[in-house]
Amino acid sequence: MELTEDDVLHILKLIDESKFDYFQLEVGDLKITVSKGDPIPIASASPQVPVSQTPSSGAPAAGKPAASAPQKEPPKAAPSVAEGLVPVTAPLLGTFYVAPEPGAPPFVQVGSAVTEDTTVGLIEVMKVFNSVRANVRGVIAEVVAQNGQFVEYGQTLFLVRP
Amino acid sequence: MSVSRVLVANRGEIAVRIIRACRRLGMETVAAVSVADRDSLAAQMADRVVCIGPPRSADSYLKAETLVAAALGSGCDALHPGYGFLSERAELAQACANHKITFVGPTADNITRIGDKLQARKIAAASGVPTVPGSDHAKNVQEALSLADRVGYPILLKASAGGGGRGIKLVSNASEMQSTFPTAAAEARAAFGDDTLYMERYIENARHIEVQVLGDMLGNVVHLAERDCSLQRRHQKIIEEAPAYVLSKTLRGKICKAATDLARTIGYQNAGTVEFIFDNDTQEFFFLEMNTRIQVEHPVTEMITGVDLVVQQLLIARGQALSFQQSDIQFKGHAIECRINAESPQHGFQPCPGQITAWETPDGAGVRVDSHCYGGYVVPPYYDSLLAKLVVHGADRSDAVARTRHALAAFHIQGIDTGIPFLQTVIDDPEYRSGKINTRWLEKRLEQYAATVAA
Repeated sequence: MELTEDDVLHILKLIDESKFDYFQLEVGDLKITVSKGDPIPIASASPQVPVSQTPSSGAPAAGKPAASAPQKEPPKAAPSVAEGLVPVTAPLLGTFYVAPEPGAPPFVQVGSAVTEDTTVGLIEVMKVFNSVRANVRGVIAEVVAQNGQFVEYGQTLFLVRP
Repeated sequence: MSVSRVLVANRGEIAVRIIRACRRLGMETVAAVSVADRDSLAAQMADRVVCIGPPRSADSYLKAETLVAAALGSGCDALHPGYGFLSERAELAQACANHKITFVGPTADNITRIGDKLQARKIAAASGVPTVPGSDHAKNVQEALSLADRVGYPILLKASAGGGGRGIKLVSNASEMQSTFPTAAAEARAAFGDDTLYMERYIENARHIEVQVLGDMLGNVVHLAERDCSLQRRHQKIIEEAPAYVLSKTLRGKICKAATDLARTIGYQNAGTVEFIFDNDTQEFFFLEMNTRIQVEHPVTEMITGVDLVVQQLLIARGQALSFQQSDIQFKGHAIECRINAESPQHGFQPCPGQITAWETPDGAGVRVDSHCYGGYVVPPYYDSLLAKLVVHGADRSDAVARTRHALAAFHIQGIDTGIPFLQTVIDDPEYRSGKINTRWLEKRLEQYAATVAA
């Protein structure tokens, strides 16, 4: 199946107007993955999911095979940390959770006050859950990582305004 | 058994080597790297990179669960452990199996059965493979003393959980046994979590000869001839050659058959190496241990056989039958590998990490350099000091030696010290050239070298 540039633009337009966050199409050898702003959630568990978070994924990814686009840039502390914000990073690699259990309220939200010892999330490795501490005193300014996302060591999870 | 995206659970030159082999087969790669290796060549080459932890290997490359989680999280269906780190830990092979990730290596059962050195001796003996005269488990000093009397001094006291040259003590007499046994047990407990010790007679004029084997899931087993790895410093190999030029045709046939017999006995799958000690004086060979992984020195075998061993590992892991039989494998010429380490021969071979300011490798017919280094690369202080493997192929041994000499002279590394100056003196040594060496020869040569440098 051949896909012209016009086809791709048409698909992008449709997605843009829809309420979907991302879209994945697979026809034979052809794979196309498109996402709106946010990285594609790991929950799709597809092997095409990018490993590390793309710093500025404003431009939708499209290609063949789409998400095989090498993800070589290490996720720096934060792509564009606003002045004075401190990142809370993943202390280990694994699956990140914002709440103690599905359906429960998240440990913290934007605006929550945290101290060094506040548990802000969980990271699961092989069914073992490890709590993530803020390690900084302040107020959550942004929740960067998504619930259920695969995060690597050192990846930014939250931004805190001290 | 699909293998379409491979997590490379290692670093350095072997990570680069695995990525190349995957590319050749059209497989995608994900490099699992520590913070210290984010900018490594493997990280640059891989399709994706996952940071698994801090620089210290105990917090990154030695964490089996983290590696399996990294494989799952990045959509890998296979994991290649390389050599060292967790490559010979049954727990990693088992964790992969539990999560339906193809482990590019032997089964957890293979590793468990042959990985314990004492048990391996028993399996070897049962498959008709000669083992070094020695003892069973020595439980305490008293038992060690009486067992040693039967074996005869000097003996090697070995940790059953050891291997790769680690956990070995030379004991010359009974009084030494009194003092050495407790420390050897304590060291084995600390290093391997198991203080089981046993003994082997020490063969003074010995060569280290090993046989490369490949086994597939259908029970086919072949050998790819032997390597002579007698040139060692503190039990670490420095120069390796293939084939083992000291063996007669008859002995070669016997040692290779012993290796394949052992591999068949345990239903061995994937690439493995059966190590033997060869007594120069009596011309006997004895089983030492089996390494259940790809070895550092595998390229010398590739040079004389034309078989890409890492590609074979991936094909076997994918469930494919070996595409060749024993009779199809042709052995051609002679190959020599020199390990180029970041160390200072002028200063007692101290490790020498730091930034490589210039990196120029030799090339030409029959010359291969396996490395992860480049000009500007900073050699991190956290890992072993291997920078590159210079592998040279010649029509025969003297041709290979001559080519190695030229290749070493054309290898220019600046910014850090390397072992090249010492390797050059070895290659030029008349005793080395005539092949009159044993496992202790290099240490003696090293003492002479140290004296020359100091003078």
